Amino acid sequence: MDALDKLKSDWKKSEINYPRFSEKDIYAMLHKRSSSIVKWILILSIIEFAFWLGISFLLRDSPQSQHVNNFEAGYIVRILDYVNYVIVIVFVSIFYGNYRKIKVTDNAQVLMRNILKTKRAVTNYIITVLVYYFIGFAVLFTLYFLYDPQLVNTIHVYEENGDIMWFYCIYIGIALLITGIILGGFWLFYKLLYGLLLKRLHRNYEELKKLDL
Amino acid sequence: MDSALEQSFVQQLQENQNLIHKICRLYTNSEDAHKDLFQEITIQLWKAFPQFRGDSKFTTWAYRVGLNTAITLYRKKSRTVNTVEFDSSLHRINQEEYNYEEEEHIKLLYQAVQQLNDIEKALVFMYLEDKDYNEIAETLGISEVNARVKMNRIKGKLKKILNP
Repeated sequence: MDALDKLKSDWKKSEINYPRFSEKDIYAMLHKRSSSIVKWILILSIIEFAFWLGISFLLRDSPQSQHVNNFEAGYIVRILDYVNYVIVIVFVSIFYGNYRKIKVTDNAQVLMRNILKTKRAVTNYIITVLVYYFIGFAVLFTLYFLYDPQLVNTIHVYEENGDIMWFYCIYIGIALLITGIILGGFWLFYKLLYGLLLKRLHRNYEELKKLDL
Repeated sequence: MDSALEQSFVQQLQENQNLIHKICRLYTNSEDAHKDLFQEITIQLWKAFPQFRGDSKFTTWAYRVGLNTAITLYRKKSRTVNTVEFDSSLHRINQEEYNYEEEEHIKLLYQAVQQLNDIEKALVFMYLEDKDYNEIAETLGISEVNARVKMNRIKGKLKKILNP
């Protein structure tokens, strides 16, 4: 008799010793809040979508943005705006489609895969948004360079003094530094947040996948 | 939600609650954690209950939801309020049925199982519940052959834990 068979005989015998919850206890449990990771992923995702949408509204209504809109090539900013809405609609649809596929009655591997796919849709959204902002800021900087009367004047002054390379270096250096800090900050935040939330799920999914090789 | 549905659910769960307790026993080691996991499984079962058509047995359906909750959805609370060993309290009542040595051995066996990872525990759980390999494989989403191979490895691993 191996260890598990020995355990099996006790497993059945000890059944009578489990605590028993009454129907009233179970009723009470039904109405408690779930703390499942799927619920957490949903909450975090909604916050993320709302956050980035909020940022885009703030940027659109900012005085700087209105200023750029008045440039000759201001239509480019409006195109970027539409692109942003398309990105949001596409990713919310993908996210929702994946979320609906999560069924606790599926087998464990499929369930885990669907949860990870749902989360991946949000990660891909964030990556896309960050790339979008990177391109967006690059476009804005260029528009400023080309059309902002004040900046064009300043450039002229530097050009006359022969310091124009120096000026470009500082301007681009500051832009890269700010972008780097923002991107790095987000990357760290994501690693921590989802790392903590999904560590166990990842481990179990890898274990199941390893079994299936 | 429909109160007749709720009543039917509560009644069936109350009658079959032992199977949830058994899952909690393998995946938790304190009374608080046991109750917490039991509650989460109950919530997940209730959420999925409207789709339960009764073409399979309530228990077969509940096994799958329960195990999925334990190994996939459940987020362990980071704080551990009560660290009293739950297993020993479960055994105390039945003490007279065992002699001391055997009881100690059984306790060691449970402790060895606690050292397994989540997926291994799921396999052990279904083995202890007399599930066939076809059902074990289907619940986890792996092939039957791989389920058998893994089960044999687990037996070996337990042996090693018990006789280092």
